[in-house]
Amino acid sequence: MEKKRTKVLSPLLARYSIAYLFGLAMLAVVDYVNLFISQFTGEVIDELTGHTLDGGGLLTYALKIVSCGIVVALGRFIYRHCIFGSSRKIERTLRDRMFAKMETLSQRYYNENKTGDLMSYFTNDMDALIQAIGPSIVSSFDSIVLTIMVLYKMSTYVSTTLTLYTLIPMSVIAVFGYFYGEKIEKRYSKKQKAFAKLSDQVQESISGERVIKAFVQEKEQIDAFQKVNAANKKANLDVVKLNAVFGPTLNILVGATYVIAIIFGGYFTMIGEITLGRFVAFNSYIGSLVWPMLALGDSITSISQGIAGLNRIHQVFDQVPDIKDDKEPDKVETLSGEINIDNMSFKYGDTLPDALHDISVEIKKGETLAILGRTGAGKTTLVNLLCRVYDITKGSITFDGHDIKKIPLKVLRENIAYVPQDNFLFSNTLAKNISFGKLDATMDEIIEACKNADIHDNIVDFPEQYDTMVGERGVTLSGGQKQRSSIARAILKDSPVLILDDALSAVDTDTEETILENLKRIREGKTTIMIAHRVSTVQNADHIMVLDEGKVAEYGTYDELLARNGIFKKMVEKQQLEAQLQMTE
Amino acid sequence: MARIIEETHETSYVGDIFPRLFGYMKPHLKIIFVCLVLIMIITGLDLIRPMLIATAIDDYIEGYDREYAYVDQEQAQVSYDGLYLTKEYEEDTADTFAYMVYYNDSYYFFRDLSEDDLDKIKEIASGTVENSAPDDTVLELPGTDYVGQLMDTEDLKLLRKNDLSGVVKIAILYGGVLIMTFFCNLGQTWLLQLTGQTVIYTIRQEIFKHIHTLPLRFFDITPVGRIVTRVTNDVEGLNMMYTTVIVQLFRNTVLIIGYAVVMISINLRLALVCFLFIPVIFGITVVFRKISRKIYRMLRTKVSLLNTFLSENISGMKLIQIFAREKEKQEEFEEKTEDLYKSQMQNITVFSVFRPIIFVISNFALASVIYLSGRFVLDGALTLGTMYIFVNYINSFFQPIQQLAEQFSTLQNALASAEKIFTILDEKNTIVEDKEPVILDDIKGKIEFKNVWFAYEGNDYVLKDVSFTINPGEKVAFVGATGAGKSSILNLIGRYYDIQKGEILIDGVDVRHLSTKQIRKAIGQVQQDVFVFTGDIKSNIRLMNDEITDEQVKDAAVAVNADHFIKNLPHGYDEPVTERGSTLSAGQRQLLSFARTLAYNPKILVMDEATANIDTETELLIQGALETLMKGRTTIMVAHRLSTIQHADNIIVMHKGQIRESGTHQQLLEQDGIYKKLYQIQQHHAG
Repeated sequence: MEKKRTKVLSPLLARYSIAYLFGLAMLAVVDYVNLFISQFTGEVIDELTGHTLDGGGLLTYALKIVSCGIVVALGRFIYRHCIFGSSRKIERTLRDRMFAKMETLSQRYYNENKTGDLMSYFTNDMDALIQAIGPSIVSSFDSIVLTIMVLYKMSTYVSTTLTLYTLIPMSVIAVFGYFYGEKIEKRYSKKQKAFAKLSDQVQESISGERVIKAFVQEKEQIDAFQKVNAANKKANLDVVKLNAVFGPTLNILVGATYVIAIIFGGYFTMIGEITLGRFVAFNSYIGSLVWPMLALGDSITSISQGIAGLNRIHQVFDQVPDIKDDKEPDKVETLSGEINIDNMSFKYGDTLPDALHDISVEIKKGETLAILGRTGAGKTTLVNLLCRVYDITKGSITFDGHDIKKIPLKVLRENIAYVPQDNFLFSNTLAKNISFGKLDATMDEIIEACKNADIHDNIVDFPEQYDTMVGERGVTLSGGQKQRSSIARAILKDSPVLILDDALSAVDTDTEETILENLKRIREGKTTIMIAHRVSTVQNADHIMVLDEGKVAEYGTYDELLARNGIFKKMVEKQQLEAQLQMTE
Repeated sequence: MARIIEETHETSYVGDIFPRLFGYMKPHLKIIFVCLVLIMIITGLDLIRPMLIATAIDDYIEGYDREYAYVDQEQAQVSYDGLYLTKEYEEDTADTFAYMVYYNDSYYFFRDLSEDDLDKIKEIASGTVENSAPDDTVLELPGTDYVGQLMDTEDLKLLRKNDLSGVVKIAILYGGVLIMTFFCNLGQTWLLQLTGQTVIYTIRQEIFKHIHTLPLRFFDITPVGRIVTRVTNDVEGLNMMYTTVIVQLFRNTVLIIGYAVVMISINLRLALVCFLFIPVIFGITVVFRKISRKIYRMLRTKVSLLNTFLSENISGMKLIQIFAREKEKQEEFEEKTEDLYKSQMQNITVFSVFRPIIFVISNFALASVIYLSGRFVLDGALTLGTMYIFVNYINSFFQPIQQLAEQFSTLQNALASAEKIFTILDEKNTIVEDKEPVILDDIKGKIEFKNVWFAYEGNDYVLKDVSFTINPGEKVAFVGATGAGKSSILNLIGRYYDIQKGEILIDGVDVRHLSTKQIRKAIGQVQQDVFVFTGDIKSNIRLMNDEITDEQVKDAAVAVNADHFIKNLPHGYDEPVTERGSTLSAGQRQLLSFARTLAYNPKILVMDEATANIDTETELLIQGALETLMKGRTTIMVAHRLSTIQHADNIIVMHKGQIRESGTHQQLLEQDGIYKKLYQIQQHHAG
């Protein structure tokens, strides 16, 4: 596949660059002003010992410290808003664009990528990226600026030599922190894995409770759980082991800095190289150096994770949609429902065999075509090609003589109503779900479509009727109910072409009969294509196509095919034999 | 239908949470005691550190305005410029002194002073000093004839040799404190985490074990996700409490008290000034935590709404595209991201207000302390070293207070988790075995229902006065519409629920007096939904029963026609499978479950609509498998297949919880009742 690197993040960063720069400037101001607080404290002590300070001067210092505090607070408020706010704006825009991009990608992409993986672009990767361009930018900039400023202050206001001495343990902290960071991350991920394993085990054990009880496996389950529980404990303790050493070691290293400060700083003070006040200020500077040392290590890790996240997000943005409008599409606005498939072949991948081979069929406007065949024969693939979910490999598909690729996608799809195999419904009200294909449908139209799909009576039985929520936050519909809702949705769309992909598999025979009769009535003069398993479903079709291993094995009317004594005939006989007992009253 | 208990109803646990939580700590009390002692030591050591620095300042480093007495060589601390001097002397033994004055960044040495001279210089030096000498090499105190010589670095080194060694001593002491702190910290953290993890491990094991004793009813009304959360995340919530919160609460309390005591003992007035800020900081933190928790929760909701939308629409992308609804969905999505963005901005605002406010307050406290202590120093009521301690303490004093406030809310969360955990632990097993259940030597498989009345809930009877007898080896089929009570009967045989009225007997003994384990082992259940455990094919047939050999696994698979498809898997019997088991088709899962049942060689076979939604070829395989399974076993099935029913010894037709008809296929057809009607409908469709 063609790959080019689209600019994703940089234009957005550029868009908010003023806010970012202003925020960072404010951050530098905050760091700078913050230093004065230590300095003023030192100066007070110096002037007290030097006997050059009176009550009024003292008050001035106190006020100076307070005002520094207020400036720092205001500055922090502002930079948080500027930078974190911008990062969230970028996040929102990126999410919106990523979703829009995903909408342009074809089914092929969704086959290759699991939903969970695609989700993680929006969640984990996005979070990592935002963490990097928000808090991590702040803390790395902050630590660098702060370190430089503090070191500068230390060496100019106090003593360069002393500063150099204290840098020894500080640099050990930085190096140590880096290695620790690497190690702890590994252990953390092990810990998380152990926890995930534990969760899985519990999840599975609880879900399989019936089996466990039936086979009296409680004790075995508990023993098995004990193993993951113990592994989880061990993984936790592995993290703890490292932390139990790291925290105190850090403490001792920071302490060592103080020891150096006492000895050398004390000495320098005694011999008059630095004043006592500066010695005190130096001690408080050390305190303010510890944080940036640690933060820098953290933010380096987090920024590299952010970059990794961005790279993965790029995989979405860099995708070139393979199903898109032709550069010069035909000017078509509606389709009549006349479809021509001519010597058409299709394969899912270059190296794969043809999924459909040399298919030719003509579907006239108003005709009903039934497609039969075993699982894997290519039935769903064929109807997917009609909706241009994939592009064909060879031959042609035309609607009213227009090549499918020349018809604008929106026009093509608005003229086809489709009932998929998996009956997907959104978490929304039933009314909203059913009017998905015709957003401006009136309630009467919705009810009419539901009656035709034989789902109306079920819906009015729900307490909230058409306002019933479907899915996680609402009722759970049975397979049959879902299927019929999905049929209603397609019926309401009232398109020139209706495709039903094994849409009656979960309804009983009575209901099937009703729906088929209704379809016959309302689809009068319009094209209908239905994939079916049961022979009973296809009795009224104008033509029946039997697919076998991607090829048209048989084609003709019901009677013609019966007479041929082929696959279809066998199917009919088989299904008659295993007549099913319907549990109806 | 089972009613799902709302989450809010669940947290009705009343009882003392603390004693129960404490109960888990009991076996580790000694270690916890050691930890607490260690924490006290650490806290003490932490408090000592600034004090050591202060001592270094006061006793050694500060050399401003310092007096020395002339002494003999033996008593001298330093020998300087031919003089033997000491800082420490007894009042009456010394009569000649030297004095060092710090002026304008330099030290000046006044020598050969009498006691009176000394007092005079001291008095002048404590005020504002001016030099009346023409240059800085000497310091002439105005109005006197005292002249101090400027000291160079070498002079100072010489004079303050003793101070330096004092500082080094303190530095060594400081180092010692550090090392002690290191070991105490190490020991404390490790011991406590070990204890915490052990407690957590124990609680997890206990919940998991307990859950498996609960009746099926519990699982009917409690969503799986919620049970999983109890065992995983809620226990993890407790983890924080045992390993961090309790200790931190203790440590911070000790720290605050320690600081307070030290501060009070140094200077009451300054200490009181600092304390004024405590309630303010604590209060603001608590209020902030409340607000931020609310916002956080909202944020979480928004995030999960967005994610739900995403996962749903990614799964449904094909539909969106085929219905050409990209634009509408995009708008919907943007609404959600906008919502999330607004919450995030709120969150940013709250944090960007709170942190700076706390900073302003503690900074204000610092300024107050500096001002006041400065005043005291000016008044001579405080030494500089003490001022250093205070300034230092004020910076670290508010930290534990803020942390304390934050930990209280963590504790609240932990208690909420604990409450949920205990609610589950208090859930009673309603299917209780007799203390000494009847153990049958050999289950023959005779099943009797005598006037059984059964309701899952209240008076909603799903079985009304049901009686029948199934003799060992007989095959009985139950027929009826959904909700007629067929599945309930199957559940009652294994005593997954207890009935309200009547009796259920197995081999003539009431199931309530039998060992549940024994009867369940004797019953082979083939369920509607086949559950596949993560593992491989083999492990899914034998489950966790190691007594079933590989041979027996294979035999079972062969007997139920599962061997064929298993052999065709890339790894055969070792093929890995997972719960959602997408690698196996519905039919294959069904065959697997047959093999599983057969491997356990049950006396009674119970099948619940075992064959639905399966393609024709697999169906034939299953038919054959069923024959094998039923051979020589009492079989009870909720039937689906005409062929199986026809050969049943008895067909029982259920309608609305009651038995309406029973007999063989032929007998029932002759009766001209429900069964015949059902049969005709089916015949019609077959034609």
